Amino acid sequence: MRVTVDVTGEGVHEIDLERLESASPTYADLLARIELSPHEVSVLVDGRPVPEDAPVEVEQITVLRLIKGG
Amino acid sequence: MECDRCGADAVMHAAYSGAHLCEEHFRESLERRVRRRVRRDDLVPKDASPANPQTWVIGLSGGKDSIVLTQVLSETFAEDPRIELVCLTIHEGIEGYRDRSLEACLDLTETLDLRHEVVSYEDEFGVRMDDVVEDDPENMAACAYCGVFRRDVLSRYAEAFDADLLLTGHNLDDEAQSALMNFLEGDVSQMAKHFEASLGPLSERRAQEEFVPRAKPLRDVPEKEVALYAHLRDLPAHISECPHSSEAYRGEIQRLLYGLEENHPGTRHSILSGYEELARLATDRYHGDDHAELRECVECGSTTTQERCRKCSLLESIRAV
Repeated sequence: MRVTVDVTGEGVHEIDLERLESASPTYADLLARIELSPHEVSVLVDGRPVPEDAPVEVEQITVLRLIKGG
Repeated sequence: MECDRCGADAVMHAAYSGAHLCEEHFRESLERRVRRRVRRDDLVPKDASPANPQTWVIGLSGGKDSIVLTQVLSETFAEDPRIELVCLTIHEGIEGYRDRSLEACLDLTETLDLRHEVVSYEDEFGVRMDDVVEDDPENMAACAYCGVFRRDVLSRYAEAFDADLLLTGHNLDDEAQSALMNFLEGDVSQMAKHFEASLGPLSERRAQEEFVPRAKPLRDVPEKEVALYAHLRDLPAHISECPHSSEAYRGEIQRLLYGLEENHPGTRHSILSGYEELARLATDRYHGDDHAELRECVECGSTTTQERCRKCSLLESIRAV
């Protein structure tokens, strides 16, 4: 399965799940592939946040990066 | 994935505790941590009463952290006549960026019906950060000027409002970064100052008549969770970064911490808890070292260790350009 990862404001990545090392890849694995830490982004599926350790079950996710500044 | 507490869809995973939480339980968890920090830091003194209310000034920038802090404190103390909240927003003269975040602040304080004061570097000092960055007479990062001016404005207005406490929205990531930076720089006296200025429980700090005490009630909450809370509650947080932001060393420490946290969940919590203990011990060693040298700035009268305070010397360089 190919997953489209839309990092808001930065670009879109297409990631082939079969090419990831894990047998059941998580959203954190997708983030690692594009060198993002789960501590600096939120992953949204259909606009709802999901835990990063959940297995990837959809073909499209949105990634929101944290904004610095209080 | 399901919430550990109710079985609803989880919206987050906290690797440091192992918890998966749904929206409702995550919100409760964050609010509980803020209230627990308020208690642990003894922020509400025993003699506070409706007849003797405490004034808390919140530094409200319009970013996610201060917006979340204001929202949670406002709801916590909405029915408590012992605490009066005042929001203070500073316009640094950063066109576009601060104009939009100011709108977020106004939106929030109107919704929450909070007293809100807005001050600007231009009115206070006759400077705008956009121009300061352009001229840069001291060859420094923008944040180095801005931080000095911000601290001055926050302290002076907190005093003018007769505040008992000055609150800022620093989160766990901010504080763990500062702790690690002080440690890596070998700056033990800075650790002691950090404890006395904002980190220690109020009951354990040595009284500093010259300054309104500070506190950071969000400092147990990871930055990501602050952002998630703002997102889930659709709070009016302004979401763009300061165009002049340039804290290169902090950025390096931040990347280091992301890696450590990934491989060793809980690292930020343990750094900060050990640091607090060390900082407390350091206050015994360093107590009084700076205190005796405090005096009034010859220009503005603020408390400083020099003849002229840092703010006034920076302003002098800026005006000389």
